[in-house]
Amino acid sequence: MTTIPGMGLVRGMGLTLTRFFQPKATIKWPEEQADVAPKFRGRLQLLYDEYGTLKCETCFQCAQACPIECIDMGGVDTRGRFHVHWGPPETYGERREESAVRRSGRPVADTAFTHFEGIDLLALDVILDAHDHDPREMLAILEETQAAYGYLPVAALKHISRTTGAWYAQIYGTASYYRHLRFEPPAAAGVPEAGQAQIAAEAAFTTRLDAALGIGGQVR
Amino acid sequence: MTTVSRSWGNMTTTGKVVVPLLLLVLVLGPIATVAIGSWIGPWIVGLASANLPIVRFLVAVTGVLLFSIPTAFIIIYMELKVIAFMNLRVGPDRVGPAGAAHSVVAGLKVLSKEDFSPNAADRTVFTWAPVLVFLTSVMTFLILPFGPDLVGMKLNIGVLYLFSIGGMTVVGLLLAGWSSFNKYSLLGGLRAAAQVVSYEIPLTLSVVGLILLAGTMNVYTLGLQQSGWFTNWYVFRQPLGALIFFIASIAEANRTPFDLTEADSEIVAGFATEYSGMRFGFLFFAEYVNVFLVSALITTFFFGAWNAPVDINAILGFFNIAPITISFELGTLGIALLIAIAVLPLILTLALAAPFYFGKTQRPAWQALVIGFILFNLVGIGILGLIAYVNVPWIAGITWFFLKAFAFVFVFVWMRGTFPRVRIDQLMGFAWKWLLPAALLNLFVTAAAIIVVKSL
Amino acid sequence: MTASNHHQPHLSSDDPRIMLDGEIGQFESVPPYPPRTEREAEFYSLRDGEMFLNMGPQHPSTHGVLRVVLKINGERVVDLDPVLGYLHRGVEKLCENSDYHHIISQVDPLEYVSSLFTEWAPVMAFEKLLDVTVPRRAEYIRVLTGELLRVSSHALYQGWMALDLGGLAPILYSFIERDEIVEMLAAITGQRMLFNYFRIGGVNGDLNHEFMSRLGDWMSRALKEHETNIGLLNENEIFVRRMRGIGRVDRDMALKMAVTGPNIRAAGVPFDVRRAHPYSVYPELDFNIPVRGSNGGGDSLDRYLLRLDEVRESLKIIDQCLHNMPDGPIMARLPRLLRPRPGRAWAAVEAPRGLYGTYAISDGTDQPFRMKIHDPSFVNMQLVGQLMKNNLIADTMAVMASLDPVMGGIDK
Repeated sequence: MTTIPGMGLVRGMGLTLTRFFQPKATIKWPEEQADVAPKFRGRLQLLYDEYGTLKCETCFQCAQACPIECIDMGGVDTRGRFHVHWGPPETYGERREESAVRRSGRPVADTAFTHFEGIDLLALDVILDAHDHDPREMLAILEETQAAYGYLPVAALKHISRTTGAWYAQIYGTASYYRHLRFEPPAAAGVPEAGQAQIAAEAAFTTRLDAALGIGGQVR
Repeated sequence: MTTVSRSWGNMTTTGKVVVPLLLLVLVLGPIATVAIGSWIGPWIVGLASANLPIVRFLVAVTGVLLFSIPTAFIIIYMELKVIAFMNLRVGPDRVGPAGAAHSVVAGLKVLSKEDFSPNAADRTVFTWAPVLVFLTSVMTFLILPFGPDLVGMKLNIGVLYLFSIGGMTVVGLLLAGWSSFNKYSLLGGLRAAAQVVSYEIPLTLSVVGLILLAGTMNVYTLGLQQSGWFTNWYVFRQPLGALIFFIASIAEANRTPFDLTEADSEIVAGFATEYSGMRFGFLFFAEYVNVFLVSALITTFFFGAWNAPVDINAILGFFNIAPITISFELGTLGIALLIAIAVLPLILTLALAAPFYFGKTQRPAWQALVIGFILFNLVGIGILGLIAYVNVPWIAGITWFFLKAFAFVFVFVWMRGTFPRVRIDQLMGFAWKWLLPAALLNLFVTAAAIIVVKSL
Repeated sequence: MTASNHHQPHLSSDDPRIMLDGEIGQFESVPPYPPRTEREAEFYSLRDGEMFLNMGPQHPSTHGVLRVVLKINGERVVDLDPVLGYLHRGVEKLCENSDYHHIISQVDPLEYVSSLFTEWAPVMAFEKLLDVTVPRRAEYIRVLTGELLRVSSHALYQGWMALDLGGLAPILYSFIERDEIVEMLAAITGQRMLFNYFRIGGVNGDLNHEFMSRLGDWMSRALKEHETNIGLLNENEIFVRRMRGIGRVDRDMALKMAVTGPNIRAAGVPFDVRRAHPYSVYPELDFNIPVRGSNGGGDSLDRYLLRLDEVRESLKIIDQCLHNMPDGPIMARLPRLLRPRPGRAWAAVEAPRGLYGTYAISDGTDQPFRMKIHDPSFVNMQLVGQLMKNNLIADTMAVMASLDPVMGGIDK
């Protein structure tokens, strides 16, 4: 503590004033870039050797060793027969199935690359033209596609992705956010809607269940 | 123009509204101009000249409101940049040159936010509390002298007016805190009320000594009395009063180290927690206008208002040199004037651009010319400013007033970047146990000194 | 425990999401569950004039996601209930399902500020299970990097201590200091924050030219810069008055609450794991253990100043490590798949926050059976409840910050 009350405050202010005039520690990205140590392993890039070929051989050792399973990789097997994929299941439409076989690392016939049915793209082209292939009007495009085809087929989404430039995953994400868009054809006629009969049946079941368990009334 | 170049079918709805409007304006524009010029314009001017005081009032009010927003912008930018520099970082430097447009964009962002209020909040009070806070800051501009004869009103009880307005701030803060229906806001509002009320008293008392010395409560007269040399400034006659006023005004403006009303590490944003959008903008701007205001008050009361520290004419008069005036008749130059107007900008631009073109950095030619032109403009403004400063008294006054006020704003911002904040009980203890007795002591000593000097 | 005795405000419809206009504002004064313990019953009953203030998980200065329910009477805190678990990631369970090598990267995020220490303790425990002797060079590198990280962690502590009190400048100065150290460590470990550097039997990479040049450059000005930055706060009257006398911990309370690290050394008890249960090469190094508050206990200011003393000691240790660095391998030879014999091992290190320990139980397979982590911040946070009685709200933050908690370790 200082002898004169208030001198500590003044000295603190003096320090900040000297700091005012000192060179700043900020690295103004992107004009300047920080010096990164050669050993830094945070760069997300695949490395090339001196001949220009990619060093990664897709041996899956890194994905298998990763304790938090954050590496996802895929490649074609050496004889070009099928696509091998290793990694945690992704949230994109093609790869949503949870498969123990896949997680084991053994080669699996990947449904992502199965042939999906083609559709008549004429109606889709008309819709895309009307919206000027503008990815910003994605919701309107998707709604009209569903109106034209009854649902959103994979081929349609891929065509939209190719022509508008938006990523398939983005389109899938947009479509799956809204409840009125569906990826499967609507149920054929003849399947009854969940009507009053179903609701009554559910209510009767829960009542019997409560009675059997010995609790009365709604449990929240 | 991309809106216009698209065909009608591809246009967005905004485009479909804007383009016809544009066409309409283009067509009706000339017609409207003619109409205003010949019929409506003169009628308005006649009406105005008949009711000059009302017009003057309206102009003053508009001026004050328009002035406070850019001041707030400048102070916000200053705060961000100065604190950043003190923290060894750069602050805003992307929006506009060196980030100068940052606070404008921030203001626009605040305007564009969704307008909502919490479900259980008292909607009317919630909306009007920030207005009240902003209003009290703005009302104080009425008696603030920006220069000789540049004051809204030479109110005879100016100081009393100031402090009564200051009391209204409390009401605004309390209403803001209470109506938000939020415990954090409640705490913040109560803390704000306690703080502002406790520091009002030393603030007022510290100026009473000044009033005794000056013999008037008229703020404009206080400024007049400090003209001449800087030894006339009241800070040398009331040093303790100035110090108390300075410290108490930090608390009044809710600045660090007394910013517990918005202590964002304890009660998230205090009384402003539930505010967003323009309502928060009001509170936010009110704080910065307040900062400018208390700096302006400090300079007016103690540091000579608009007066320059040295009276150049007095110095020159001491050496028997005539006072500086710059005056010349432009007409005497004759044809040379026309040649000068045509040729001088070109020569100066080229001269100022030359170092950038031939020098070390070797910029391309057009860049050098642009820089030269800008520099020429700055030089021209500088020369004109100098002429204005010497010839027109109120420009000198405004310049010094703003220099001094912003120097104090810098000190406020500097303190914000350096100090932690005090606790509420330490704050109240400081106000009631130290500042209040010091202010009373100041008052007694001043009064005693006046009596002693008068009786001698 | 039945959930059906909910005591809810009467709602006109059965859907709990709908609250009609007339019911807006009728909030419960006590949480609607029946209290499960005596402490809860005592805490959640309000007397006249008291109210609950929830410093929720999202708060500018609860060091991470910590929820603290304060019972306040005006500005005075009557009682305090910290609610943990918002950052719980199930690390101990994850470790049970990971190979021994994977555990090192699993436990990194526990004390993310000083993550080498969180790797050190498990690695030492596994080395005990496997009977591995770590080469001396590796031990010296471990001590060197550990002490560097201790300096960095204490620098950061000074910064956010000031930030919680309202000063904006010191934290940025701390980050500039920390940035230098962290870049240094990135040069050998490859990462700036969650290093994943220690291995069972040694360390991952040897010292290289980049590291040594940065270290040499830094050592020459480290102490002076640190003291200049601290000087902004040490002598500042406002800062000192905010911290002096707040959160006084005396010897008995510290020992009773099992506090460790700088918090107990600031209460007058000279307990340091490096001297009490020596490990690695610390017995060969010459350093003192700073102690403050020997008479009557220490307050926040003592804890703050103690960490400055510790930085000086750490710099001495770094100096000695650099001078005495032996040559040799940096990693013992071990098989890739580790299967220790069944057994139990305990290892503890002196982390910047206290005693960081790991109790590993192995059952002979390549994954540990159980890995219990003793985190110092978890134990230190229990002090807050004791220290906060009848202080002001502003002091809550000051006291919590002075104990230097890191939520990653508290919630594991």
